[in-house]
Amino acid sequence: MSQQSPIGPPRGFRDILPTEARELGLIEQTLAEVFADSGFTPLHPPLLEYGADDSTKRRRIQFLDRDGSLVALRPDLTTSVARLVAGRYREMTGVLRLSYIAPVFREEPAMSGGAREVLQAGVELVGGGGALADAEILALLVESLERCGLAVCESTVQVGDVGLVGGLFADLPEDVRGEVLAALRQGDIAGALRRAQQAAMPPDQLERAAIALTATDIGVGVGGAGELCNVIELARERWPGSAKRWGVPNLALLPALPYYTGVVFEAIHPNAGVIASGGRYDLLFGAFGRPRPAIGFAIDVLQLHRALFADAWEPRSQRPLLLLRASDDERATMRCAAALRAGGLAVALGDVAERAGRAVIEAEVIDERLVRLGDGRVADAAALCLAIRS
Amino acid sequence: MRPLRFALAQGLLLNDALTALRAIGLDVSRVTPGGRRLVVDGDHVEFVLARPSDIATYVERGAADLAIVGKDVLLETGARVIELVELGFGACRFVVAAPRGAVERSLDEYRHLGTVDVATKYPNVAERHFRARGIAVEIVKVAGSAEVAPQVGLADWIVDLVATGSTLRANGLAVVEEIASSTARLVANPAAYHLRRREIAPVVERLAKWAAAR
Repeated sequence: MSQQSPIGPPRGFRDILPTEARELGLIEQTLAEVFADSGFTPLHPPLLEYGADDSTKRRRIQFLDRDGSLVALRPDLTTSVARLVAGRYREMTGVLRLSYIAPVFREEPAMSGGAREVLQAGVELVGGGGALADAEILALLVESLERCGLAVCESTVQVGDVGLVGGLFADLPEDVRGEVLAALRQGDIAGALRRAQQAAMPPDQLERAAIALTATDIGVGVGGAGELCNVIELARERWPGSAKRWGVPNLALLPALPYYTGVVFEAIHPNAGVIASGGRYDLLFGAFGRPRPAIGFAIDVLQLHRALFADAWEPRSQRPLLLLRASDDERATMRCAAALRAGGLAVALGDVAERAGRAVIEAEVIDERLVRLGDGRVADAAALCLAIRS
Repeated sequence: MRPLRFALAQGLLLNDALTALRAIGLDVSRVTPGGRRLVVDGDHVEFVLARPSDIATYVERGAADLAIVGKDVLLETGARVIELVELGFGACRFVVAAPRGAVERSLDEYRHLGTVDVATKYPNVAERHFRARGIAVEIVKVAGSAEVAPQVGLADWIVDLVATGSTLRANGLAVVEEIASSTARLVANPAAYHLRRREIAPVVERLAKWAAAR
């Protein structure tokens, strides 16, 4: 080890500098507003949860606590929220609308370029079932992305249904069906179909499953596909009369996380990849005691920022910052700055080296009421406030 | 938008892959195996040649939209891609092999010493296999020629990829157990598969027909 302290963060973590932090702040603020507009209340689960000695959960960042218990940096918030709700709202049977904006942590292989810290913004609708709840959450995802400034086009959102996919392989023995679904969760469509064929699935059923999983237009002979399309139609009603046809059914969409049970969806951007995902997970609560219907989504805020950036997004501009050069009279300088701030301006005394893309106006203090602007004009504090704010 | 980018694994699969792509009507005339140009234009599709183990990374990270790559590579890298068509060529198997006649002796040693050394180019496949079987092993990662490891005393067993088994026989090794079989697959980046479905679907459909007719 060298004597010098490391100057960069550990692998998979990174510094977020002021320009990006300001833009992320705007996105977070917008998302918090959108969530609140639909009645979702923020909550803060803890950073650490208990870990699990389970080889399927190797993507967790886990370590031993000082008392010897295995703890993990939370790998996702849905599980934390489910644990919290099962513990703290045990007796409450009504509907909960919860939201969060917080980082989660996942192990990534070294040198794969993967981030280990992911900032998620999401909602969980606990206790709500049926097509209306599905459609509301799907529409809320689209609204969240749009209000942040993302252009949502036809193929931005793909919608699948874990239940329907299970139905395609319903006649297979349970263990084989498990293997088929596990292959599909890993994206292995070819392997899943071959496993089904080996288990003597009738050719017509196999053909139907192959078409349902790969065709661009589902619905041909898939029981329940109508309901899936209905959820998408219903979600589009969030914008009555709009001709915009976002949302593509895709039954091959099976999230790697095993707790989903019904509708699942993903938002995708050509440059940023998957920027949000979610779905119905009625079984997760069962693991914490009592089953409850639940649906939610999580937006990867950094990926959303990347997508906006790739689309030449122009973040809402902040009010300009007045850089006020002091006069020899320091009392007058303090009073002048106070007067300008009282008038609604953002004022910094001296210079700011990192301006994070913010516009600045330079001025010099003459006395407590008067400043000289960069172009030599002398302005009165009150008049300057009015001029800049307008 | 850039043209659809198709990554092809250099090496054993390349000729079969080109045959398949030619058969479904893609223009691969400018792809020259062993040539120096690694990115070539193929009329609506751009072809990229890369090492097999890098192909999975290209597709996972979206640097390529589609690829033809062996299942063996996918098993070892664990890349998150969509596997669309089993193409049938490039058949090979992951196997555990040991010096002929020495399996009993090494199992005795295993009972005695509690562990077996396994040399392999595929540490992830090997580790997963032995963990699932509940056998304690020490994995020794080598960059090539695992088959000489038992002869030179580097390891007791090897995990290797075999097509015909002649290399194993030539080195006095016998297959102890088969781990998995592999053939070439058409794979896609998950986001690209969704966003460029209209361009990708015909390729998938025609390759599936081609593979089924073989």
